[in-house]
Amino acid sequence: MGRHIAFVLALWKTNLLSAMEYRVSFLTQMAGMMLNNAIYFVFWIIFFARFEEVNGWDLVDMLFLFGVVATGFGVGTYLFGNAVRLSLLIASGQMDYYLSLPRPVLLHALASRSNASSAGDCAYGLLSFGAAVYFAGAFDILMLLRFGLGCLAAVTVLISFLVLVQSLTFWIGNTNLLTSNAFNAIVTFSLYPITLFDGTAKLLLFTLIPAAFIGALPAEFVRRFDLAQLAQICAGSAIFLFLATFVFYRGLRRYESGSAFQVRT
Amino acid sequence: MPAVSVRDLRKTFQLKQKAAGLRGSLRALWRPSLQELDAVRGISFSMDEGELLGFIGPNGAGKSTTIKILTGILHPSSGEAEVLGRVPWRQRQELAFQIGSVFGQRPQLWYHLPAVDTFYLFGKIYELDDRELKGRIAFLAEAFEIEELLETPVRKLSLGQRMRCEVAASLLHRPRVLLLDEPSIGLDVVAKQRLRATIQRMNDLEGVGVLLTSHDAGDIEALCRRVIIINDGEIVYRDKVSALRRRYLTVKTVDVRYNEQLPPDFALPGVEMVKVGRYGAKMRFDTRVTPVGPVIGGLAAAGSLADVTVSEPSLEEVIGAIYARAESKDG
Repeated sequence: MGRHIAFVLALWKTNLLSAMEYRVSFLTQMAGMMLNNAIYFVFWIIFFARFEEVNGWDLVDMLFLFGVVATGFGVGTYLFGNAVRLSLLIASGQMDYYLSLPRPVLLHALASRSNASSAGDCAYGLLSFGAAVYFAGAFDILMLLRFGLGCLAAVTVLISFLVLVQSLTFWIGNTNLLTSNAFNAIVTFSLYPITLFDGTAKLLLFTLIPAAFIGALPAEFVRRFDLAQLAQICAGSAIFLFLATFVFYRGLRRYESGSAFQVRT
Repeated sequence: MPAVSVRDLRKTFQLKQKAAGLRGSLRALWRPSLQELDAVRGISFSMDEGELLGFIGPNGAGKSTTIKILTGILHPSSGEAEVLGRVPWRQRQELAFQIGSVFGQRPQLWYHLPAVDTFYLFGKIYELDDRELKGRIAFLAEAFEIEELLETPVRKLSLGQRMRCEVAASLLHRPRVLLLDEPSIGLDVVAKQRLRATIQRMNDLEGVGVLLTSHDAGDIEALCRRVIIINDGEIVYRDKVSALRRRYLTVKTVDVRYNEQLPPDFALPGVEMVKVGRYGAKMRFDTRVTPVGPVIGGLAAAGSLADVTVSEPSLEEVIGAIYARAESKDG
């Protein structure tokens, strides 16, 4: 385990060195993403200025929600930047590189890229969590631990979901459009209060598009401890992680490589 | 035990076929037509430890597919292969600690970073101790003459410089076998010669075995004692490079110039006249039919010689002839 951790830390360090080659671009993308998130949240400020709450959720709940989701997305797509371009790597034969080195292919591929804009998501998420704590007027160290756990669950389910969808590339070829739609769907649905949905819609948000595990569930858990929610978060994360790993490695047997000229960035 | 052994290896890909235009696309959507492509058709060969083995063939011959199966990147459709006693597609990670690979069209160095940063990353990937890694980098930098290049971002290196850094990176963990797939692709003559010299040097110094695929017969001629020629997924020739030369380099071409005019019906027995001019001629003969002595004697007897050049076909032409022969057999 220790050797895998040392390897992943070395990869992240190399990603950081690569990003630092273009500092201005890095900072611009980061600031741009923070602004983008802030503009999106303005909608909810205007909404809650007119309605005090929606199905039991108030503005502070939304701040917790944005805190967990933005931090989860930011950390996930910064540390595992190739999670959003796995289908491209598979379809264009770029998995050859990871297969020729003595490391777990999926982990190596995912952690070999960092998205600069994700750092903006992450910074915005932390600010949102800070604001939520301030307006809630209640903070203790356990809340910080719950926030860490909630973000970890969000990262796990998000990355697993992206891997699952893009692993279909091994069977059906190009999944660019499907990946793009799946990504948009999970981002959109994770940023709404779960109480807006019921019945089939709610079931879908825990299964086919597991946005509930990335947003509402961990956000509620961060605000107040609930053992049942903790169990749900852990079980959901473990199931999606197992499914993603299983389907990816099943698909990898069908990998057909390619002969296109490539560049490692 | 051989370093690499391959028995009846086959790899079949499924290709989607589609007629041109919108109608073809719609038909393919409704009823896709799949065609099987046999990239490798039951090849068998072996390579000894420390051997430099050439593996050549035209585009689409199955060279890269074979190398990818041997590195564990691809699963074969059938057949057996072992590299250093391991089955590549089942023991990929274990094997990767023992072998190195370089694919000419697939760089492993990070494009925006100096090569030394990738070297340090590879140190972690191959679990090398920091002190050992530093020593190894210094040794390879000297062996490959890349000391001055290590701290320059890879994007600013020439292709030849980059390729030397690529091969050096693949040797950091002291592999016993190096699989090189078209390492000289796109390089100029000087860069090719330097790369060949460094590969030869590492073979001499560390005894690393090299399986080298190349379009360029010059790479094989300069480095390998044995060669396998593959065409259309099948092995069409395997022997020593020297035997290849002896067996196929029997056709000589002679360019001759005289100080006086030649008769218009100038000819020599057993020699094919390609072109006859007023003061010179170009001719061709096969040494298995017509020995060299009588031809040179005949040329000297024909008049006062100003210049004579005897040349033989390049290895490239010989290989071209072998491909053509294999294709005409299939036809």
